[in-house]
Amino acid sequence: MIRICCLLVLCLALLSLKGFALEPSEKLLFEKNSLYQYIQVIDDTVKKERYVRNQKREFTQGGIYLNAPDKLLFEFTQMGFVSLAFLDRDPKDVLFVGLGAGAMPKYFTGRYPDAVIDIAEIDPDMVTVAQKYFYFKESESMKVHVDDGRLFVKRAKKKYDWIILDAYQNDYIPFHLTTLEFLKEVKSKLKDDGVVVANIASPYRNKFFDSMVMTYEKAFPHLVIFKGKTSANFIFVATTGSKIRDKNSVEARARKIQSARKFDIDLEDIASRYEPSAVYEWRGAKILTDDFAPVNLYQHQKSGAQ
Amino acid sequence: MIKFVVFICGAVVMSFEILGSRVLAPNFGSSVFVWGSLISVFLAGLSAGYYLGGRLADINPSSRKLSLIIIAPGLLFLTFPLYSGPISDWIFMKDLGVRLSPLFASSVLFLIPSVFLGIVSPYTAKLMICSLHTSGKTIGTLYALSTFGSIIGTLITSFYLITLAGVNALIVGQGVLLIALAIPLYFMNLSCSIEHTGPSGLMSDTK
Repeated sequence: MIRICCLLVLCLALLSLKGFALEPSEKLLFEKNSLYQYIQVIDDTVKKERYVRNQKREFTQGGIYLNAPDKLLFEFTQMGFVSLAFLDRDPKDVLFVGLGAGAMPKYFTGRYPDAVIDIAEIDPDMVTVAQKYFYFKESESMKVHVDDGRLFVKRAKKKYDWIILDAYQNDYIPFHLTTLEFLKEVKSKLKDDGVVVANIASPYRNKFFDSMVMTYEKAFPHLVIFKGKTSANFIFVATTGSKIRDKNSVEARARKIQSARKFDIDLEDIASRYEPSAVYEWRGAKILTDDFAPVNLYQHQKSGAQ
Repeated sequence: MIKFVVFICGAVVMSFEILGSRVLAPNFGSSVFVWGSLISVFLAGLSAGYYLGGRLADINPSSRKLSLIIIAPGLLFLTFPLYSGPISDWIFMKDLGVRLSPLFASSVLFLIPSVFLGIVSPYTAKLMICSLHTSGKTIGTLYALSTFGSIIGTLITSFYLITLAGVNALIVGQGVLLIALAIPLYFMNLSCSIEHTGPSGLMSDTK
């Protein structure tokens, strides 16, 4: 009897544990096991920042400065906007795959109020969190569709100027959003000279990164990579046009957009990190397909390059 | 031999289920509806298989018939890459909604093989039970072997096989494995009266 009681107490103690221990400076605002993930919203009262994340501190999906919620907190969200410098025009139709805290679409719509934005997000709880804690608001021109990103792209009736791929579950991209077939579907939903940008997190150069380079190269005629300075993120920019802007022209265009649209991030500095994908190629890497895409396993294997 | 067959069939069922999630994702995503459909279709197939297997086992059971029961899903697996793509695409085009689409696709693609693999367990139980005194032990052993096979199938597939080869190649490989298993079974004519006098000594404790 005593043993059973001890076991019960132990079980209850385990159940009541948070996803992980909070720092003294962190205040928990919300947590939930949604259909797809453990979601935790916390305030860092010292840094004055708010994050939404999964089981681990490294699995942060988005965040804001508490004092300046309209600024872009994370480097990968800032870097993504460099891809606008690859477009010859202002984007009119835009698709985000993966909402996170909604920082990127919110920032974008503030600067391009005429653009029509679709956002595909699989997890309804993530939408609620973005609205409740991260000042994200849907509008006439910005709609969230609770749907699997792959299915939304496949069923999309319209074409887009700019498609942003940033769907993560914990620290990985669901495999069906990494494959050559998916990228071809994305490409088929791009207007002429449209641009795709993807956030590829790779804490160290792993096999998944190698495969992503080869898969994007296979799917698109041109690929340019931007490496994070303070984060482990790489931004992939792929275009469908017959030629791609060179570094100088991207820098010039970034400078122009920066002042015309009042970006408070240094787009030109990001543009200066322009690297053609050939720098990161490793010919031994396998192209990911619907048939073969060991995303999770590849993330834990060291890159074959070097 | 029969114990090995039960183990392999258990492994193949769960390995196929893991691979099934990969088969469905491109057309139906990886929502909870997809996982729910997948798991319930496999369980429906197995329970129908157990029921049918029990009935069949009462009509002159033989290892020759068992081998045919195993060859059937083997042939379905061998030809799986030929029909899974077109069927998935067709159901995607029909668009029955987020719940019905994956449920329907799972039923078409996975139900029949799992029925056949479900038949194996009760059928082999009947083949192996030679005495009512030890029937509990025989059935218990078979259950354990089948489920242990499932564990191994799940782990090996999700931890290793997925990095080694494509989903279609793995499913075809399972077909080859089942057929390779079924062919010797066809000629062996195992039943408990032969088995316990046989050299393997597998059933030496059943009488």
